[in-house]
Amino acid sequence: MAKKELMGLFTDAGYAAEAGDALERAGLTKNDYDFLTDTPYPEGALGERHISHKIYVFPFIGAMLGLTVAILITAGTQVSYPLITGGKPVLSVPAMAIISYEGTMLGAILFTVLGILFESRLPYFRKRLYDDRITEGYIGLVVEVDDSKVSDVERALTQAGAVEIKRAAA
Amino acid sequence: MHSTHSLPIGDDVHTKDYKVQLSVHGEELDSKTIIEDVSRGFFAFGAFYKLALLALAALFAVGIVVFVIRAADGLGDASRHQWDYLAAVFAFIVSAAGCAPLIAVALRMTRNHWRRPISRIAELYAVVGLLSLLMFIPLLRVLPPIDGRRTLWFTDEFPGAPVWWNFFGLLGLVIAGLALLFVSALPDWLQTSRRGQGFRAGFAGVFAGRWTGTEAQWKLHRAVLAIMGAFYFLLLIYMLSIINTDFVMSLVPGWKDAIMPAHQALTGIQSALALVLITAFLVRTFGGYKKYFPMEVFWSSSKILMALCLLWAYFWFAAFMTFWYGRMPVEQTILKTFMFESYFIPFLINIFCSWLIPFFGLLMWNPVRKSVWGPTLASCFILVGAFFMMVRLYVPAFNIEDVTAFSLETVPAAVTPNAGDIFIIIGALSGAVFLYMLAAKFIPIISIWEMKEGLLYQRVRTLFRSRFLMVGKPD
Repeated sequence: MAKKELMGLFTDAGYAAEAGDALERAGLTKNDYDFLTDTPYPEGALGERHISHKIYVFPFIGAMLGLTVAILITAGTQVSYPLITGGKPVLSVPAMAIISYEGTMLGAILFTVLGILFESRLPYFRKRLYDDRITEGYIGLVVEVDDSKVSDVERALTQAGAVEIKRAAA
Repeated sequence: MHSTHSLPIGDDVHTKDYKVQLSVHGEELDSKTIIEDVSRGFFAFGAFYKLALLALAALFAVGIVVFVIRAADGLGDASRHQWDYLAAVFAFIVSAAGCAPLIAVALRMTRNHWRRPISRIAELYAVVGLLSLLMFIPLLRVLPPIDGRRTLWFTDEFPGAPVWWNFFGLLGLVIAGLALLFVSALPDWLQTSRRGQGFRAGFAGVFAGRWTGTEAQWKLHRAVLAIMGAFYFLLLIYMLSIINTDFVMSLVPGWKDAIMPAHQALTGIQSALALVLITAFLVRTFGGYKKYFPMEVFWSSSKILMALCLLWAYFWFAAFMTFWYGRMPVEQTILKTFMFESYFIPFLINIFCSWLIPFFGLLMWNPVRKSVWGPTLASCFILVGAFFMMVRLYVPAFNIEDVTAFSLETVPAAVTPNAGDIFIIIGALSGAVFLYMLAAKFIPIISIWEMKEGLLYQRVRTLFRSRFLMVGKPD
């Protein structure tokens, strides 16, 4: 069945949250709709679904890789060409610590940048439903719904106080 | 018929027409006003602004020309003494501008609300990191080999130590700063791109990409700002310490000091806050954003600035006392060189401007702190002090001839800047300001999303006989 994308526009965050509840009463799930705002509302304030991301995995993997490479470079060099400096052990932690720390940091930073691109799904070329009034404080409620339920959704959004409903082919 | 509802943040949240007073002394604002004001300022490109950019670009170009002429004579260990003032101005820029994004990160992490107008001002200094990186390359070329001198790197056997590790460290810092700025600017790029036309609106629209402000995007946005902020801090202190060790202490035979690298990092944080406050004052006064910078922004910042002045004094005194009581010949020579004989005047300017004048003369007094001009004036002194601190550290260090000697036996004479040095200093500083001002025309200088977020959590309410700011804490 073909899907349609609708967007209800609300002047008030409370009405938008209420519209979300109305959509669920109309048989939709939290995965079927999303709020568009111009500022970060506290998590859960609009009654949206719990959203998870894996951004924290990227710096951790990057840090591990960076540390591994740095240790390989420093320890490998020392082992390949063992010169005793200042009577200290060939593999001495203080000498390796500086490069290991920097390697860890560089790995973590570069992988976080990759993580941002991946988690943001960039680049993205599809035009998304939006309304300039969202930049003025309106709340957008985007719903992806089957053709058969479009009129029910429009009714629910209107009753909840949507000032306008926009449509786009999903 | 709308049913009643109650959000955790109150019934009067963020409606289109609802105006909110963000501070007792401030004006009422709403989302529409914020986006309109900031967009107007963002797209305005007045004659004065263009003229300033042109003048700065010209001075920057002159500095580059002088640099190229000088570099033609050689760029290596033998010509190190020629780059002493370039090293000083580089250290000043990398400390002050490099630490500025940290101000945004730290204040955001502590969840305070008065930081909102200055967050982007601080983050935008990440762009100046590109200039720092370019200036770092010739300085790395004139760094003498490790062999035969004391160094933090212990050995020159490690591939790339110290030059490439220094370079990649600063490169990583610049990448982290720019990533922080990019992610922070995404929501604002979307909002401003919808409010204007032409090249810059198109640029903002392209960079905003798929950002529409879904809850998932905001969650990722929060997480990335936290992660990148933490990384920026971790790498910044490391880099400032490494730069100080490699380009100052390691070039002075016999100088052993655990406080000096940390002292430069602290001076960086102090001068960064000063830089942000001066920029905020300029944006407030000449940018048409007066209502976005109530006195509380300067008052609250001044308390941190005052603490940093005291901390600066403590760090300096701790290092000084160690050498003064130690009284070894090399320690006495170092004190005479860097403080009391050769570079006595830069040292006096440094100690007066970094501590005595801002602390005892200005920030100690409540009426001065509780004003816009007071913290700004103190910030001007602090920046001058920070610059002369870098002069008194880097210039003598770059003029030490034998860096492999056991200790510094004699007090070297002071090296004053010649015409070329002055052009290089002015050019570098102009370049930094030029880059910043140019960046401010591609990224809004007021963080729109952060200002609007403030509307959710702040209200001025009457309590008995007075009006107070009530602040909500969502986490």
